Parts: sequence; structure tokens; C-alpha cells
Amino acid sequence: MEKNKTSEDSIKILNRRSFIIIIVGAILSFIVSLRLFSLQVINFNFYKKKSVENKLSIKLTPPLRGDIYDSKKNLLAGSSSLYEFVVFKNLSKDHFQEIKKLDSLIKLNLNFVEISKRLKNYNEYSGFSLSRASWEQIVKFEKNKFLFNSIKIIESKKRYYPYQNFSQIIGYMGQPTQSSELYSKGVFHLEKSYEKHLKGKPGKIFSEVNAKGKTIREISIEKSIKGNDLDLTLDLSLQNYAQSQLPTNKKGSIVVISVSDGSILSMNSNPTFDAQIFEDRENNKIRDLLNDDQKPLFNRAFSGFYPPGSVFKPISALVGLQRNLIDPQKEVFCKGHSSLGDRNYYCWKKKGHGKVNLKKAIKESCDVYFYELAKKINIDDIASLSSNLGLNKEYDIGLSNIGKGLVPSKKWKKAFLEESWYQGETLITCIGQGYNQTSPLQLATLYSAILNGGKYPIPKLDKNTPTRFTGKSLNNEHQKIIINSLNAVVQEPRGTAHKLSISNPEFVKIGGKTGTSQVIRIKESEREDDQYKSKEIEERFKDHSVFVGYAPYDKPKYIASVIIENSGSGSAVAAPIAHKILDFAFKNNV
Amino acid sequence: MFREFKSIFNLNWIYVFILLIIFWIGEINLYSAAGGSLDPWASNQLIRFLFFLPMFFLVIMLEPKFIFNFAEIFLILVLIGLITTLIFGYTGMGATRWIRIAGFNLQVSEFSKIALVVFMAKYFHKLNAEKTIGLFKSILPLIVSVIFFILVAIQPDLGTAVIILALGLVVIFYAGIKLIYPLISIGIILSISPILWTFLKPYQQNRIQIFLNPDLDPLGRGYHIIQSKIAIGSGGLKGNGFLEGSQSSLDFLPEKETDFVFAIFSEQFGFTGSILLISLFFIMFLIPVLKTFKLTQVFNKIILFVLSFKIFFEFLINISMTIGILPVVGVALPFMSYGGSSLLSNLIICALLLNFMSINEKKRMFS
Repeated sequence: MEKNKTSEDSIKILNRRSFIIIIVGAILSFIVSLRLFSLQVINFNFYKKKSVENKLSIKLTPPLRGDIYDSKKNLLAGSSSLYEFVVFKNLSKDHFQEIKKLDSLIKLNLNFVEISKRLKNYNEYSGFSLSRASWEQIVKFEKNKFLFNSIKIIESKKRYYPYQNFSQIIGYMGQPTQSSELYSKGVFHLEKSYEKHLKGKPGKIFSEVNAKGKTIREISIEKSIKGNDLDLTLDLSLQNYAQSQLPTNKKGSIVVISVSDGSILSMNSNPTFDAQIFEDRENNKIRDLLNDDQKPLFNRAFSGFYPPGSVFKPISALVGLQRNLIDPQKEVFCKGHSSLGDRNYYCWKKKGHGKVNLKKAIKESCDVYFYELAKKINIDDIASLSSNLGLNKEYDIGLSNIGKGLVPSKKWKKAFLEESWYQGETLITCIGQGYNQTSPLQLATLYSAILNGGKYPIPKLDKNTPTRFTGKSLNNEHQKIIINSLNAVVQEPRGTAHKLSISNPEFVKIGGKTGTSQVIRIKESEREDDQYKSKEIEERFKDHSVFVGYAPYDKPKYIASVIIENSGSGSAVAAPIAHKILDFAFKNNV
Repeated sequence: MFREFKSIFNLNWIYVFILLIIFWIGEINLYSAAGGSLDPWASNQLIRFLFFLPMFFLVIMLEPKFIFNFAEIFLILVLIGLITTLIFGYTGMGATRWIRIAGFNLQVSEFSKIALVVFMAKYFHKLNAEKTIGLFKSILPLIVSVIFFILVAIQPDLGTAVIILALGLVVIFYAGIKLIYPLISIGIILSISPILWTFLKPYQQNRIQIFLNPDLDPLGRGYHIIQSKIAIGSGGLKGNGFLEGSQSSLDFLPEKETDFVFAIFSEQFGFTGSILLISLFFIMFLIPVLKTFKLTQVFNKIILFVLSFKIFFEFLINISMTIGILPVVGVALPFMSYGGSSLLSNLIICALLLNFMSINEKKRMFS
């Protein structure tokens, strides 16, 4: 296809090709200009924003968590300083060698594989925390400081719990679980439920950073705001005293509340634990705690549910009075047992109480009197009065695993056991056994309801919550009869807890009711008998000892609800403890 | 070998003036890239410029005839240089691109562009004196271009290699190859590219995908281009002002003094400054090109047109990279990117252009 052409023709071709190339060049320039227009004019705001985001670094500074105090401003949970070994990659190229050196100098048992993996992508200007530093470790480190260019000791804050007796109420803190959470947070009890109240607001340091994250200058600082403090109704001295009164080898619980406003003054459970070990990351202790079959994390005061035993009898009596089923003066003859159908229901006193009226029935805790009453009672009346007086309720006071318990009714049995109600079950329910399940805190509230005449203050832990009353008023006469009888339990001879006023006459005078919470039905006739032959029964099958009392008996101010597991009758174990605690509360005016 | 001294007064001073302006803008830009400091780039680049000036004037004073006669020698010298680079070269940043000559690191590939254009100009000049240009006659320059392309591409320096190949093709096109051949070539390349895609290794496909969408790998391969676009985009219409570019001063932009120097400029001087810069380079391109229309000698025309095009072409490729319309392959911005070899070779090109613009074609110069 070649053909000859003159030199002049070829020059023309060259010039024509010039134009083509110039035009292509111009078109390319135009495309580039259009693109620049798109970037710099049309999308200017988008890129400007990106550029500002690029250089702005917002560093959050952790806020101080609010403190928790008892009712007298004693610190129960606060913040204390904590020291950590922190490595800064930018300070030395040999930072990893230094970490190994640190580990051999101070036995930190670091996981090098894990650390090197996490360090790899870590910003070189942000410190990476290796481990907590104890005082001995800090001293050792300071002596050899010249060896380490990239490792520093940095102070930060941790939660501090001065008294472990409060761990089961205050709870503890845990590590953040979501990426949106920056700091440790409350994960149990009040620390959890008051998280928003306590946590405060992180401070912000706005600074201009370069591409490596190094701060060039600080632009503005927004200071962190400390979380709100929390004042509790608890009393430090009472809580500590009550804990000391709990037998160390027994599981049990003591709750003390104020009659006038429902304030929980102390709430102990044994065994307990020390929330500090979570903050100090003492992993061995934490593991032991979680594996402990005594369940120290379980607060028996509000998570522990037991049949109330005889302390429930005032409810049965009140239903009898309200429904006109009994005349308080009318006597029933207790011959040691009562029969319903072909079955005998035994009184704890084998040989019987003889002639018994209502007051004597409560004072001496006669079961037969209540069996006879129960034969006329509709169980649903018991259930509805129980609910009115504070049982069968889950108090919303910020505690984890607070339960509702159980007050049986016909409807309940049909729904959950798919059986109809038997009259025999009413008999044992009326003396507080059977399906009944109440917590020590609920029992304290029940007595508060009785002492307050039906309308009772809802229990509270937060001192700043206003006192709220609930429930239905009781007939004044009925209330007087019951309180009279409860006073007689301790103050009059033959009362099941009369021993208290004899052995400690100098103590504040109290009223109350003993109870025995049955673990297993052994010999019915042996219940509540001081002669209880404990040695014959295996420890874990022994009944729980229950007592709910109030002081002073003529002008009640405090209620103490005590349960000691597997300890036998209420009068022998729980009642003396309750008496001491009420005396302590009264004398110290908590 | 040299022309008379008085011919220095016949230079195209407008072109010299534009060259100086662009170099001065480059200096200001390197000064701002260092956060308002002459050290380390601006001062070094100025020293190089002054150091290269004698060379610049030497080339201006060369007889065109001398250049014509020694075209093949230059080509062979450069070829030796490229092979030496591959064998004894100094390795930096994963590539062997430099050889050490008298204490300087020299990037031979930069000079191979000049030698190739000069060689091809002579080849087509001689061809034109006798015959026409078909495919067959274009094969030798094509082979030479491809050899250069391969020698540079395996350094590896794909950017420079592509420029070399493109310049070779532009010479062939400009010299008057029948239009049918380039059109067929483009057609073939376009139709087989989907097949080529399947032959690419996954990492190569990955690179192309990241070019098409840098957000696929924002902290890795896509980082450069994302940060560069942020710098340029945040410049806006008027720019952030001299020394006010945060992207550059805070080190968000990697290679800001070399391949991404335009982003530094554009962040500070905005769309207005960028358009002015494009205009300056376009005028700089056109001045020698206008001269070619008055010339009849093919050698002169090719030298003037293609070498002038080379500077403008590299300029366009470079800023297209920084604004994300071409993949990042590593092409310097003439007179503005920091680097000795690029500066020296572009100064030599300008010297050649000034030299050839002052030619008075009264007689047939070359035989």
C-alpha cells in the first residue's frame, strides 16, 4: 500500500498530525480541568470536611465516676489511683526488646505473642498498657529506669471499695463489652443500675494531629465531668455490725429497714465477697469466687427465697379477722394436732397448747389454732392480703437478681402445676410453709406494713428517692390485736422469744415473731422445739431459723429480718441475733 | 560542534521566562511542602538547578548538526546506561532505577526519552528524504521503543516505561504513519483487554480495582489517592492560601515532594491556581509547536514537537494521577517534583527546544 509522496506533502502531513495531537492534548487538559472543577468546586464541602476530620483528633479523657456514700456520708465506693506499665512505640525502636526486659526484671507474666500482635497496628504515640504496677514493682522499675526508654508508669483511676460488706449491694465494675463503650462500666447491682447516674461525662481534648497521630497542637479542651454521687440509706456501722453477727460458718441474711420511710439500713448476706478483686483483676480470686459452691455472689437478702414459717401467721390471723372467721377471744383447743380428712396436721408442740386464743396462738406460735382457722379460709384471700402487705413483689431498687417470690393461689396452682387447690395446702400455707416463698427483705417489708397499718413505705436504698407508700389500710382494731400479740412473743412469759427479754434485759424492748422455715418435712412435731435434736439430722436438711422483729416495741422504729440457714428453730438462733442488731440500731440511732 | 556565541541572543525569551516561572512555582511549592522551610527540598533543588545551568547553556549552544550526527551514539550510550542500571544499579524503594556517576545518582531512563526521540527524529528525517512511511518502515523505531520500554519496565518503573513507549508511538504518529495502523492497534487492544484481564494475576487485578475504587483499601494502596484527592478537593476555588495546606503540613500526603507535589500546590492555590498552572504548561507546550509550522526539516520538526509534547504529556499524566483519573504509576511533575534526574533531563529538553527554535532554516541542514 506504499505510495510515493513528495517531501512537501509529508510536511503537510506532519503539520496536520500536529493539530490532531494539539487537539488531543487540549481535550485531555479540558478533562483534567473538569475533574479539578468537580473536586474543588462541586465537591469542595465534602473534601473540606474530610480534610478537617483528618487533622482533628478528639481524645476522650475518662470522667471520674460518682462516689457512693452511706447515709452518714461514709465513702462506700470511690476512685483511687492506679498505676500501669505503658509502652510508647515512638520512644524507642527497641520497645519490644524492652518489654521482654521488663518482663524478666519484674515478673509480669506477659503474653508476648498477644502483645506483639496488638502492638503491631497500635498508634505509636498512644501508650499501650502492658500491666498494672504494684508499689514493689514500681520501686523495682524506678531503680532500673535507665534501661527503658519506651516504657513509662502512667497513673489512671480505678474503682475503690473500702468495705467488702457492701459488695453484695453495690456490685462491681466490668470491662466494656461493646466497641462503643470506652470505659469499664457497672455490671452488677447498684453499679449497674445507677450506671448513667454515676458514670459522668468524658472530657474531650480536640487537637490537631499529623498523619502518624502525633499531636501538633491542642485546639480546645472540654473538661470531663464527674459522675453524680449516690447517697444510700445504708448505715456503715450497722452493716458492719450485722455482718459480724452472722455466724461465719452458716449461710444467712439480715435485713434492717426503717419503719417510717422504708429505708434499708443494712442488708447482709453470708457468705459475701470482695468487689475489689474485680477492679484489681485478681483473676485467681475471681475464678475461685465464681466456682464457689457457697455462691457468695448470691445475696440472700433479696435473691434468697424461703418458706417464711411462722412469721407468716399474722397474715392468716388478719384474714381471719377481716373475714370474721375468728373471734380473737374465742379459744381453740390444741391437743397437738388437727385432722383434715384422714390426715393429721401436727402442732410443733407434741403435747399441745391446750386452750388457745388468737393472742396466745401468735405468742406461742400454736399451729393447731391456725389449722382450725385455715379450714375456713379461702386461699385467695391469703394471697391477696399478702400482696397488699408487700409480699409477692419485686422492689425496683436497683439490685440485680431481685426476685418476686411466691404467694400461692388457686389460679397460680392451676397455671403452674395444672392442679386444683386442696384444703390441706391451705393449712400448711397458713403456718407459712408449703408453696410460700419469701425473701428476708420481703418479710421485713411485711412487718413494716403491719406496723404502719397496711399502708407501708416502699423499701428504698437511694436516700434521695422520695418516700412512697403503697398497700391498703388495715382495720385499726385488727392491727392492735396483732401487734399486741407480736409484742407478747418477746415480752410475755411463754412467748416463743421471751428468752430474749430475760437474757438481755438491758437491750431495747422488742416485738417480733419467730419462724422455722422447713427445708424438708421430717418430724412435724419437732419443729420450733428448743429440744430440737440437731445431731440426728444432716446439716443441709436442717430447717432455717427465721426471726422478724422490731424495736422499740411500743414505738417501732426499726425492723430486723434474720434468716440463718440450716440452724434449727427461730427462737434459738435468729431471734438473739435480731435482738442484738435492733439494740445496736436503736442505741446508735442509725 | 558549537554555534556562534551571538546566537544566544536569538533565544525565545518568552519561553525562558515561562520556564523560570514554572521552576519558581515549583520552588515555592517545595518550600511549602516542607512546612515553610527551604530545607530539605527547595534549597537542594535550587542548588541542582544552578549546578545544571552550564549544561543547559552548553546544549543551547550545540550545533543541531552535531546532535543529528550523534543521534545513534546517544542512543547506544543510553542503552548501555540502562543495561548498566539493571546490573549495577542502586536499589531504592524496591526498584533499581539509579546508577552512581561521579557521586550522583543518575536515573538513565529519564535521558533515554531524549535519546529515543532524537534517534527517531533522525530516522524519520532520513526516511522522508527518500521514501514514504508505511508500517514496515515504522518497525525499527517501534522495536527500539519496545526494547527501551522493557528495559525500564523491569527495573521496575512502569510509569517511565509507559511514557517512553508513548513518546515512541507519538513520534511514529507525528512522522506520518498511515492513520489506519494506530486505529487498528487501538481496536485490537480494546477488544482483547477483557481477555488480558483474565490473564492478570489476582494482585494485578486488585491494583486496577483499587485504582477504580480507592476506598477498597483506604489505608493501603488506596491511601495515596484518597489523601491526594482530599488535599486537592479541600483547596476549593481559591485555595487555602500559601502555607495553609493542612493535608501536606501534617504529613497526610505521602510522597508529597515527588509524585504528589501537585496536590500540595492545588491545596494551597485551589482551582484558580490549578487552571493557571495548566495554562502555563499548555502555553509552554505551544510555543515550540508554533515554531514547527514554520519549519520544513522533519528532524527539526520532530525534535521540537515531540520533546515539547513530552513535558506537557508528563504534566498531564502526573496531575491525572493525583486527581484519580489515572492509576498511580510514578511520573514526575516537570520542574516541580523534587529530583535531580528529572530536572536535568527536562532542562536539557528545554535547552534543545530553545536551540531548535532559534534555527533559521535557509538551507537543507542535514543530509
